[in-house]
Order: sequence, then structure tokens, then C-alpha cells
Amino acid sequence: MSGVSRRRFLAASLAGCAATTLAGPKKALAAGSFKGYPDGMGVLVDMTRCIGCRSCEAACNKEQNLPAPDRPFDDKSVFDETFHGGKQKRRPDENAYTVVNRYNPDDSDRPLYRKVQCNHCNEPACLSSCFVNAYTKTKEGAVVYNSKVCVGCRNCMVACPFNIPGYSYSSAFDPVVKKCIFCHETRLKNGLPPACVDVCPQEALTFGKRKDLIKIGHQRIQTHPGLYLDHLYGEKELGGTSWMYLSPVAFDEVGFDPNPGNEPIINNVKDFLGTVPMVLAIWPAMFTGFHLLAKKKEHDEHNHDVEKQHDEEGGDQ
Amino acid sequence: MSAKQILITLMMVLAFFAASSLVLAAKMPEQVSLDSMVALFDGVEFDHAMHTDLGEDCSACHHHTTGTGTIDERCVRCHADSNEVASVGCRECHLANPFSAENINREALDRYQFHIDTPGLKAAYHWNCVGCHEEMDGPTDCQDCHARTPDGDDFYHHDAKGLSAVGKSGH
Amino acid sequence: MKSLIGWGAKPVDSHVNEKTDQQWSLFRKLMLGLTPGQYLGQALRNPFNWILGIIFAIGLPLIAYRFIFGLSVVTHSSNDYPWGLFLGFGLFAMVPLSASGFMLGTAVEIFGRHDFEPIERLALLNGLLGYLFAVIYLMVDLGQPWRLPYPMVVSFGPAAVLFLVAWHVATYLSVQVAEVSVSFFEWIGWLGGKRFIRRIAIGLTVAGIILSTLHQGALGALFNYAPGKVHPLWYSASFQWIHFFCSSIPAGLCMVIAVSTVVKKTMAWRCDDNFKDNLDRCTLGLAKGASLALITYLAIKMIGIAHDNEWGYLATGWGAWFLFEMAVGVILPIILFAYAVRHQAVNLARVGAFVTIFGIVLNRLNTALIAFNWQLYQEVPHIFEVIIAVTIFAIYVVVYRFILYRLPIIFSWKEQPQEALAAEAARPAPIKTSTAPIGAMYRKID
Repeated sequence: MSGVSRRRFLAASLAGCAATTLAGPKKALAAGSFKGYPDGMGVLVDMTRCIGCRSCEAACNKEQNLPAPDRPFDDKSVFDETFHGGKQKRRPDENAYTVVNRYNPDDSDRPLYRKVQCNHCNEPACLSSCFVNAYTKTKEGAVVYNSKVCVGCRNCMVACPFNIPGYSYSSAFDPVVKKCIFCHETRLKNGLPPACVDVCPQEALTFGKRKDLIKIGHQRIQTHPGLYLDHLYGEKELGGTSWMYLSPVAFDEVGFDPNPGNEPIINNVKDFLGTVPMVLAIWPAMFTGFHLLAKKKEHDEHNHDVEKQHDEEGGDQ
Repeated sequence: MSAKQILITLMMVLAFFAASSLVLAAKMPEQVSLDSMVALFDGVEFDHAMHTDLGEDCSACHHHTTGTGTIDERCVRCHADSNEVASVGCRECHLANPFSAENINREALDRYQFHIDTPGLKAAYHWNCVGCHEEMDGPTDCQDCHARTPDGDDFYHHDAKGLSAVGKSGH
Repeated sequence: MKSLIGWGAKPVDSHVNEKTDQQWSLFRKLMLGLTPGQYLGQALRNPFNWILGIIFAIGLPLIAYRFIFGLSVVTHSSNDYPWGLFLGFGLFAMVPLSASGFMLGTAVEIFGRHDFEPIERLALLNGLLGYLFAVIYLMVDLGQPWRLPYPMVVSFGPAAVLFLVAWHVATYLSVQVAEVSVSFFEWIGWLGGKRFIRRIAIGLTVAGIILSTLHQGALGALFNYAPGKVHPLWYSASFQWIHFFCSSIPAGLCMVIAVSTVVKKTMAWRCDDNFKDNLDRCTLGLAKGASLALITYLAIKMIGIAHDNEWGYLATGWGAWFLFEMAVGVILPIILFAYAVRHQAVNLARVGAFVTIFGIVLNRLNTALIAFNWQLYQEVPHIFEVIIAVTIFAIYVVVYRFILYRLPIIFSWKEQPQEALAAEAARPAPIKTSTAPIGAMYRKID
């Protein structure tokens, strides 16, 4: 390759590098983090109030036109269902955007119930990981998805620290992600609370602006000393979630990950994403440099063109 | 006092009590219709008279709104001498739609309101009633107090006949 | 095939049939210069084809079944384990094994190591086919595979690591197609195309290195989205992408050794002397490179564990599994390679290469499937998933073999004198090094 003229070589390298430059993402990553829209709504889930009536599941099923369930919604035997060798309780899937699970922790004299659904994080992992931008954090606070662009890569399911999104594997031609959307289309957009909140007889679910719910949550802890654990789960976890929880016992006894950290999931990939433009900038020059250094020069004082002339005149062969 | 005077005084006292109890009885309903969830559950004809006969203080259900004071230690500090309010019924403070946009914004703007966490009507009924029922062996199941309508049965998919997953592997 | 050659058949290796002095038609080129009858005969006599036949008989209907009835019929439809064997093996394992393209391209074109040129084309082909089939595995896994172009043209999510992977794999596939097209153009006789590609070879190679570094690393960075889900011994918050990139180097090099071993054992009739004579030397050279990369990988894995202070995990059950993976997949090959290079024991190096491949596949499967969701239940892939994965791999082998039989990858294409002269004029002048071992490729044919 020593006969390639400098001009040709540079042109070719530029062409190659242009191809790669166009290929890489060049998003400028801001140093700050998102604390939620100022008027974003949220829900406070109070586990001292829930009685496990599953009306919320029924309301969600009706509101979102989900398929009829296998068991009636007032059947409490579902709380005994476990999967995968007894290790898993029920979880949201394509047919149920929310489920209630029962826990019997030692330091509670009655069973506790936990409603599981998308937590509508401030900086959702699903949104951060979606390469077709299928997820949107709306200004009302809901994290909604656009099934029209979803390719089905299921990266969002891997990314969600709460393992919430379900996938409609049963659909052959239009499988998409299925999860709670905070009743955004039918209610939230119009200033109404989601169906589950509306129906709850115990008001275990309190709807309001997220920033107000934080105050309410802390006031509840303060005015009921000893009733609640002094922690509002979701206030800070993973960058803050719109659905927050109060519990009378330690959170890991009722199915939560007690220490997910306060960093939104996207912070884990920011370092790598920041490396990308560095590689794009450094690699071309570095490897071109290696190439130039690797070529042996027999005649130091000659330039490339003279060398080539020598070769074309017959050379040493 | 002569016997006649004593008798008249006694009768006046009796009449006073009769009158005042009549007055009080006019304010205390015998029955209250609770029908905010008629879509799914039949309305409840709440037997108010029976409950008052149970001997508990009015404040057991009505907090401090009847003018008889309250004994809840969290409330006593402010409401020990509260007056009777215009309407003692639950609906006045415990809203049927606590999460409507109007109500959420109203609470948010009202800086001087201490009670930012007032339960709505449904919750107020359930917390007030069921807690006591559990202690006193009253009705505790949903349908013990209000039977479901046919729409309610549909809502809960009462006739779902699928197999239970209790004991299954999950695959 | 060997017996046919014994009877005098000569597989096509130039444009002109030497016996008849006429140009081979495309059809005859495809038939390797045999009659259709002869071709079919040798295919049917090959026992490997019988095994392939059984695999396809079971697997191809299953693949059709998956596309007609959806993923639920061939997987466990797990919402907790959304990525199964198709991605765990087909994408995460096959992509590092296909890193050979940029490795050998860099070695030959950038660093000027033309002594590796005899296997350069095989490495480039290995890279191309590996990535191509990784994409095919992806198409089988995606919920809506017809929407594969969406992140390119319909809706962009540029902050997502997968966006980078998608764009880079698409671009890199084009680069690799271009690099392998040199052989293709020789085969069909369009030298203009070949000349054009040779002119931009450096640019393509540099592009290849950039793209490969980033997407090999990005596949690792994908797991940074799930920090709590991958067991700490397989997860590094800071270095995940470096681990994946670094391990792709020995993977690619060893895959070339492995494929060349298979080629030498099963297709020796197709290899020319240039390939056969230089293979052992190249193999040892690759083994040297692979062992250096493996030692580096071992070091950075230990740095990763030290950085996050995870030594305590080594004493657990998962720790034992991790130590097994490191011992068999990394340390054992280092020892084998060290001995092989020292004593010029090529076959030992080959064994080391196969062991390394096992180690890399194990590492990727561990990260994506086995040590994934380590705090939940353990998921075992559906048997249909396994069968389909094996079937697609069989298709990969068939395509590989098809191309190796025909295109001048492991043999040199003999050009006609006038074509050779024209090509010679356009080619860059030969390097004047004393180690010019493959002079035949560049010398004028007299």
C-alpha cells in the first residue's frame, strides 16, 4: 500500500470517517437532571389503607378495555398464586396493567397489600432506553408510549428497574409493550384522576400534584406517629417517581427493592454515551497515525511521489 | 312550694326536655341514604337512629362538628371547644369527588388550610364505619352493607370461570 | 468432493474453463464447474448434509411457526426475561465472534502486517456473515421485525445506547460488504468494482475500527441500563463497555483460527497452496494476539472487581460459576496459547481457540441470561428457542460453506493475462519488504 498517493489516502479516509460520523449519536448530554414537570400529577399509595379488594384492578380492566380475567376481581384466592417455583407473585402483564399482591410481614399483625403498576418516573428508564423514542413523559406526569413506532426490541423491559412493562407476546402481528399509562388518554389529559384512584373505597390512592403529595405524605407520617415508616418511597428513588408509597413496615418486606439508589437509570449510561464522540474524534487520527508509522520507508529523503516513480520504472522486482 | 306548684314545675321541666328532645330528634335523621356508588352498588339505607342508640358520643362519627367537642387527642388541641356547624352531614367536608381538578387546585391554593389531606366521601364512610364494625362484630364484607348491582357484577367479572394459577409453574 | 477431484474434476478457480478454453457461465461457476448431477451427487453423499437436513426438517417449520403465530409459541413469553436465546446467543455472542473483520483488516491494512494476508479475506468474510446472521437472529427475535428500519428513518431515540448499536451495525455491515465485495468482484469479473474498493480500503478499515469499538462496547453498555439485574461479578458500572470491547478481540481472532481449522479439515481441496502453506504461521500469529488480549481482559476484569470491591462475591455459588468461566474461558486458553506459541504447536493453539470461543459465548450468555435477574428465579429457554437458534446457526454454516466453495477467499482467483495487466496498472505498487510471502497475488502473471 506504500504507493497510494497522499491525496488519495486522505480522501479515502475522509470518506470512511464521514460515514462513521453520520452514524454516531451526537446528543449533547446536559449535566442536570429532570425533577418532573411543575404541574405533574402523581398518586400516593398508602399501604396502611389498602384492604386488597382489587377494585382498582377491575376499574383498570374496564377503563383500558383489557381482556376478561381468568378469575373474578373479587376473588381473593389470587393472592395465593405464585409462579416459577413459588418465587414470584403476580405481576403486571399484557392483560393486567396493575395487580395487587398480599404480603404477610412478621412485624404486621394484619396482611398488607401492595398495588403494583408503572411508577411514572421523572426520568424513566424505559424512555431513556428506547431507540425509536416510543415513550413520552407528558406534562401531566404520565409516561405514555406510542405503539405505532415500537419495534419490539424489549430494551425498555430490561431497563425498567421495577420490571413493569409487559409485552403482548400473544399477538402474532402487532405485539407491543403494555403498561399502565396513568389513564392519560381517557382521564388525565382532561384533569380527571385515573380509574383506579376513582374507585378505591379506602382512598388508599390519593391523587394530586406530585409536589403536593410529597407534602401530604410527610404530613401523614408526622401526624400518625408510629403508624408509618418514615420514608416516602419514590420521592427520591431513581430520580423520583410520580407514584409514591407509604408503608407501615420496611419496604423490602412488602416486595420493594429497598435500595435502588437515587440516580435515574440513564445516569448509568451517560459515561459511555459521552465516550462515543471521543472515540469518533480520536480513533481516525490515532489509527491513521499507526498506519503512517507502520509503513517502512527505504529512502528517507524521498517523498511518496518520487518513490512511486521509482516503482513504475521497474523497481527492484 | 305547694304540691300544685311542684307539679307544674315538674311538668314544665318535663315539657322542656320533651321539647328539646323533639328538637334534637328533628335534626338527627332516623335513616340516611348513602347512594354515591349506585353504578356498582345498591344504595344503603343507613339506620342512623340505631347507631345513635349504641351510646357512643356523637363525635365518634361526627368529629367535632356537632358542638359536643372531640376526644381524639390529635384534634383536641384546636377543636376542643368547636361549635356546631351548619350541616353535620358527612358530605359537606368529605367531598364526593375529592380528586376533581377543581378540588385539587382549591386545596393547593388555600395556604391557611391545615387539612390538606381530607379524605373523600367514600373513604370517610368506609374508615368511619368499617373500623367500628370490625371491633363490634358488625358487617364488614362489601356486600353486607351494599349489595352489588348487575353492573357491579360485570365490573368485577363475577362470572369469570378460568382456572386458578395457584400451584402452577408460570410457564 | 474429494473423490470427484480424485477422478479429475477441478473446482472453478478462474474465469475460463481450462479444458474447453471458454468462459464459465455464472451457473457453472455456482456449480463449481461440475455438472448438476455431479454436484447433487456429492452433496447427497456428504454426511454433514444429512445432519443439516434433519436440523432443517425440524427447525425451518418452527421458524415459520414463530412468524405465523408470534413469539408466544416458541418462547416462554417472559416479561421478566424479555431477552432470550435469540439475542443472548445470536446477537450478544455472535457479534464479538465476528470481530475478526476489523481485527484482521486493521492488522493488514493499518499496521501493514501483510504476512496475515492469506487469512485476511477469511476473517473479513467471517465478520460479515457473523454480523449478517446476528441481524437475522434479531429479526427472529423482534416483535415487529418489519419495523427494523424504524430507528433509521421513522423515529429517532438518539439518547438510547441501542440507537448507536442499530446505526453502527447497519453502517458496519455496509463496510464489511464493501470489504468482502473485493472477492465477489473478482469472482464475477468486474474489476472496476474491485479497484474502487481497494482505493478506499484504508478509509473503510478505519471506519470499521471506529464502528466496531463503539458497538462492541455499546452491547456491553446495554447492560448498564439494568445495574441491579446483572450479577455484580458480570457487571461493572464503569467498565462494562470496555470489558465487552476487550473480550471481542480474542473472540474475533479465535473465531478465525477455528473457522480456518474447520476449513482445513473439511475443505482442503478448495484451499490453494498460499493458504495452506501460510495457515500454521498465521494461526500462531493470531494465537499470540489472542493471548495478549486475553491477558488484558483478565487484568481488566480483576480491576473491575477491585473497583467495586466485589471480592466477597467470589465466595458464593455465583462466584464459583464466575471462577469457572474465567478459568476455562480465559486462563486455560492463555496457558494453551503460551505453550503453543513457544513450541510452535499449532494444533494446541487451535484447541485454545475453540476453548476461547466457548469462554466468550459463556460470558455473553451469563451476562444476558444466566446471571441476569440473578435475584429472581432462573429462566430456562423454551426448547423451541434452542432448536430455532441451532437451525439459524446451521443456515449460517451453510451460507458460509456456499461462499467459501465459490468465492476466492481461501484460494486465489486466476485472472486472464489481459485482465491481469489492466488490474496491475490500477493496483498500488508492491511493498518492498523482504518478507513478501504472497508475491503471487501481486506479481504479473507471465
